[in-house]
Amino acid sequence: MTITATIQPTSVRPRPLTRHRTDDVAALPAAFRSEWIKLRSLRSTPGLLGAVMVIGVLLSWIIATFVKTDPDTHLRFTIGQTFIFSSWLTTVLAVVMGTLLFTSEVQHGTLASAVTTQPARWVIVAAKAAVGSILGLAMGVLGMAAGFGGAVIGGLEAGDTSGSLATAGWGVLLTALAPILGLGIGMIIRHSAGAVTTVLVWALVIENLIKGFAPPNFSRFLPFSAATGLLGIKSAGDSAETMAAALSRVQDAFLFSAYIAVAIAIGTALLYRTDAN
Amino acid sequence: MITVSSLTKKYGARVAVHDLSFEVAAGRVTGFVGPNGAGKSTTMRMMVGLARPDRGETTYRQVRYADMAQPARVVGTVLDARSMHPGRTARNHLAAAAALASLPARRVEEVLNEVGLESAADQRTGGFSLGMRQRLALAGALLGEPEVLLLDEPSNGLDPDGIRWLRNSLSTFADNGGTVFVSSHLIAELAMFADDLIVLGAGRLLAAEPVATTLARGESTVSVRTSQAAELGRLLHRHGIAVESAGSHLSVRGATTAAVSQIAFDNRIQIIEITETRRSLEEILLDMTGASAEFAAA
Repeated sequence: MTITATIQPTSVRPRPLTRHRTDDVAALPAAFRSEWIKLRSLRSTPGLLGAVMVIGVLLSWIIATFVKTDPDTHLRFTIGQTFIFSSWLTTVLAVVMGTLLFTSEVQHGTLASAVTTQPARWVIVAAKAAVGSILGLAMGVLGMAAGFGGAVIGGLEAGDTSGSLATAGWGVLLTALAPILGLGIGMIIRHSAGAVTTVLVWALVIENLIKGFAPPNFSRFLPFSAATGLLGIKSAGDSAETMAAALSRVQDAFLFSAYIAVAIAIGTALLYRTDAN
Repeated sequence: MITVSSLTKKYGARVAVHDLSFEVAAGRVTGFVGPNGAGKSTTMRMMVGLARPDRGETTYRQVRYADMAQPARVVGTVLDARSMHPGRTARNHLAAAAALASLPARRVEEVLNEVGLESAADQRTGGFSLGMRQRLALAGALLGEPEVLLLDEPSNGLDPDGIRWLRNSLSTFADNGGTVFVSSHLIAELAMFADDLIVLGAGRLLAAEPVATTLARGESTVSVRTSQAAELGRLLHRHGIAVESAGSHLSVRGATTAAVSQIAFDNRIQIIEITETRRSLEEILLDMTGASAEFAAA
């Protein structure tokens, strides 16, 4: 039990190779592999996917069994409407997962090992964004499938399914983008409890308060309003003014992406400027 | 070889490291010592780009750490043995590190074997003792078969067998041409295998020299027991030798056993017992850093 690594005398070792921008780009697949290993080696990852499925099934089943009819139209809910409902919660969970991709590294001190191994810190950010996005996509697909299953179990009829494929596509895009927003927030806050609390309080409380007081022309630009718009979900009690001010799905997608770009840019700048723990 | 030049780091108004310059030679174990708060960890973090120096730089054979294409193949680092996700197994912890450094997967098994953790490879690190974490952290540092090892308090939490294993391993690593830069507060332990010392106090360099040179700083003390203590004391004093007496015991500084014995023999003074005590490295370093210690026991 001794360290047997062969050390060549310094005199015959080549001088350490210096890094070029192309080396950083070439390091992306390696960084992605590393992040993928980290993700699949934790029990919380399958746990998260399981939670998304349970939420999807339960929410659709509860709507089918207890709510039954749309309060605005008084028509019975259909599978074509209901399967997407859980995706908003999936999106919130995906943002939370994205924050933890970074903050758990700070919390456990593994960020320091990562940035000593890969001094081009943006490479680590890009790899985390890609891995988070894949997991977010899986969460979106499973959540919708579970929502579909819950609606079927609840005995709902299929209804008009002509727009369901497009809705599912926008929904998956949203859940794939959401972890990157979370990653940016995590890099800014750098603390698991703080970042998760911020996301949950903002999504579940603050945005609803703002919507209650601010005009629709303002509140339509809020990040989780954009998420709701992408999913094509109409909130109960939405006024005609709110409906008229709503952005198109493409506009919502650009708006949500803009929030992501700002969060990632600030987070990456902080990652370079702040000493790593 | 590591070259540290004019490294300076401030936290607000407090200067953590002040204009620090030294070199760490290849093929030798260099100990990095100083009291708590002296700036050792800050210095080591700056040496691998984790903390941004306000001034100065560190190079490894003329290349800055941040400029290296594959730093893990040049420098292996252990700065905090607790840095691992408790829910991840030792094997997966190393696999992720190896992947990020573009190292072959076989290195994971090799280093697990080298640090004696092969039987615990599939255990989650949350259940590891501090000693096992130290071994795993060292395994991570060895992944890239580096030529430099930079270790901050690597013997923390190791049992005596583990400490001996670490000491032998680091000595072998240096004997094979590697550069070992290791901080430790276990100075007596460090004295057993370090070749050189970098001594830091209040963020400033106090000494950078071979251990032998540091040891030579310590005066020896000769203890003498004789029935003619007062007479021998007067004679030694007349020879310009400092003496403290307590009954039949004399404590003599600045003279060898041979010199004291010769004076006693020449003056027909019978010596019952005579011993020479050298000051330990720990005592010498405590004297060197005492004035700069930020925290000291009352």
